[in-house]
Amino acid sequence: MSRSVAPTGRRRSQWVVFAMLCGVAASIIYPLYFVLVTSLRSNEDYLQDPFGLPGQWSLANYVTLADAYGAGRAFLNSLIVSVVSVSLVLLLAALAAYALAKLPVPGARAVTATFVSVMLIPGPVLIIPIYLMLSRLELVGSYWGLVLVYLATGLPFATFFLTISFRGIPNEVIEAARIDGAGFYRTLWSVILPMGVAGLATLAVLQFLGVWNELIFAFILIPDQANRLLTPTLASIGERFVTDQPLVSAGLFITAVVPLLLLSVASKYIMQGLQVGVSR
Amino acid sequence: MTSVARAVPAGGQPPAGTRPAPGRSIRDRNRVVGLLAVLPAFLVVVGFMAFPVLFALYISFTRTNGLTYRWVGLSNYVALLRDPIVHEVFLNNVTFLVSVPLVIFVALVVSVLLFDRVRGWRAFRVIFFLPNVLSVAVIGIMFRNAFGYYGAVNQALGLLGVEPVQFFTDGRLAIAVIVLALVWSGFGYQSLLLLAGLTSIDPAVFEAAALDGAGWWKRLWFITLPNVRRVLGFVFIINVLYTFSSLFGFVFVMTAGGPGFETTTIDYLVYLKAFSSTNLGAGAALAVLLFLFIGVLTLIQNRVFRLQEED
Repeated sequence: MSRSVAPTGRRRSQWVVFAMLCGVAASIIYPLYFVLVTSLRSNEDYLQDPFGLPGQWSLANYVTLADAYGAGRAFLNSLIVSVVSVSLVLLLAALAAYALAKLPVPGARAVTATFVSVMLIPGPVLIIPIYLMLSRLELVGSYWGLVLVYLATGLPFATFFLTISFRGIPNEVIEAARIDGAGFYRTLWSVILPMGVAGLATLAVLQFLGVWNELIFAFILIPDQANRLLTPTLASIGERFVTDQPLVSAGLFITAVVPLLLLSVASKYIMQGLQVGVSR
Repeated sequence: MTSVARAVPAGGQPPAGTRPAPGRSIRDRNRVVGLLAVLPAFLVVVGFMAFPVLFALYISFTRTNGLTYRWVGLSNYVALLRDPIVHEVFLNNVTFLVSVPLVIFVALVVSVLLFDRVRGWRAFRVIFFLPNVLSVAVIGIMFRNAFGYYGAVNQALGLLGVEPVQFFTDGRLAIAVIVLALVWSGFGYQSLLLLAGLTSIDPAVFEAAALDGAGWWKRLWFITLPNVRRVLGFVFIINVLYTFSSLFGFVFVMTAGGPGFETTTIDYLVYLKAFSSTNLGAGAALAVLLFLFIGVLTLIQNRVFRLQEED
């Protein structure tokens, strides 16, 4: 759309708008910049001149976090749990979505209704029953219990999202594959997944962010300090070291860096995912 | 590895070897295959989303430590409704609602700015979305750090010669800090939602209004805002729902509900009751009440939306 479409239109006001947007952007960027810079200095250095650049740059905070507080291990735990959960969500959601979008599934309406209505369940309702169920199954303290929870909470939206995205694939293509003798798996693998790859990528990024950032279940389902994921580890570091801003900042940066990298490489997919969020 | 194991049951089913005659039997086979493909996801969702809700309902009618259950009828609910702490906590949630108009106001301003499509507006969009990819734990601790005794805010106040402020020992100030964190982390996404609403307005309307001599403010008030009414309604309701059901993370990392119960929210109280008391039934009952409350809000939202679509 052309520039003249905008409600302002005039050149001078364009600069005013630009300057205001820069101001808003700074309010987001500066706190993150501050966290990064603070994490790279010692506490004494920080207290001397908090807003200036460090007198001496150092990675000591990161080393301390990794050596003394198991941040490296927690980082890996989070990474593994996230990757496994997202892979399983994508797999089960793709199977279900293909069937719901393209096959005559008996009771499809009931299945869709179930998925849509469980999306409305507020998280706090699940805490107690899930904890009791998993402790009965002896899965409290096990990463599999956590993966199961992420799978169950991720699948409704994932299936819904992929069903919509797979519906856009023309039936003729699927019919052609069938005539060529392709069965269910072959069609899913060679036709549906390649054609729905943009939707799958968007979903993968959104689900990864959701699992990586999750706090409550990661906290209550892995009680053993040594096996914790990253967000609960960060929470306990933040709680114990209120007086050591640089150390906590290093923890913040470790936790934030993966989502930030993901946003910088996949912002296209994340923004696409938003559109679906709107129409929901 | 697991993925293969999980996939097999759905795939092994279609009758191999016998190639059925086309028509009815292919349809029948597709029904079976389709059902089997949906089944794994359906079972997981029913088992670990739908069933837990019913289980929570059952727990809420019992007195339990998680091992033995004793049916007590409605007494957990009665106790909750009489509990002054629950009243205080509910009022805290209501206080947190001040974040709703604040977030919406900032989001609206930003969306109108973005709508001008100035140079680099796409980059701005990504920047404003940035807080949405961060964990609540990160945002919460960042704000707690910034407003801590040695934090950036007190350091800046110190440069101005002001004594450090203890933000987290005063319930009102602590709530203000959490509200600020909510606004900071929420406005970007919502401005994008509103921008999508703005984009759907017919550009010709603006041009016609501009020709008629309507200024920037007039166009904002008479064209832009009325046209994003529905998106505004949607944004309003998601904010209200969020305030009642999703503040746990912020409260958990920023104040742990204190001082006293002054910053405790309902969802945080569910957690407190679950893991620091001997009766899980009370926590479950509170969760069920929260669910009902949110359900009613959602119903009202649906009503309002339908009315708006009709006019």
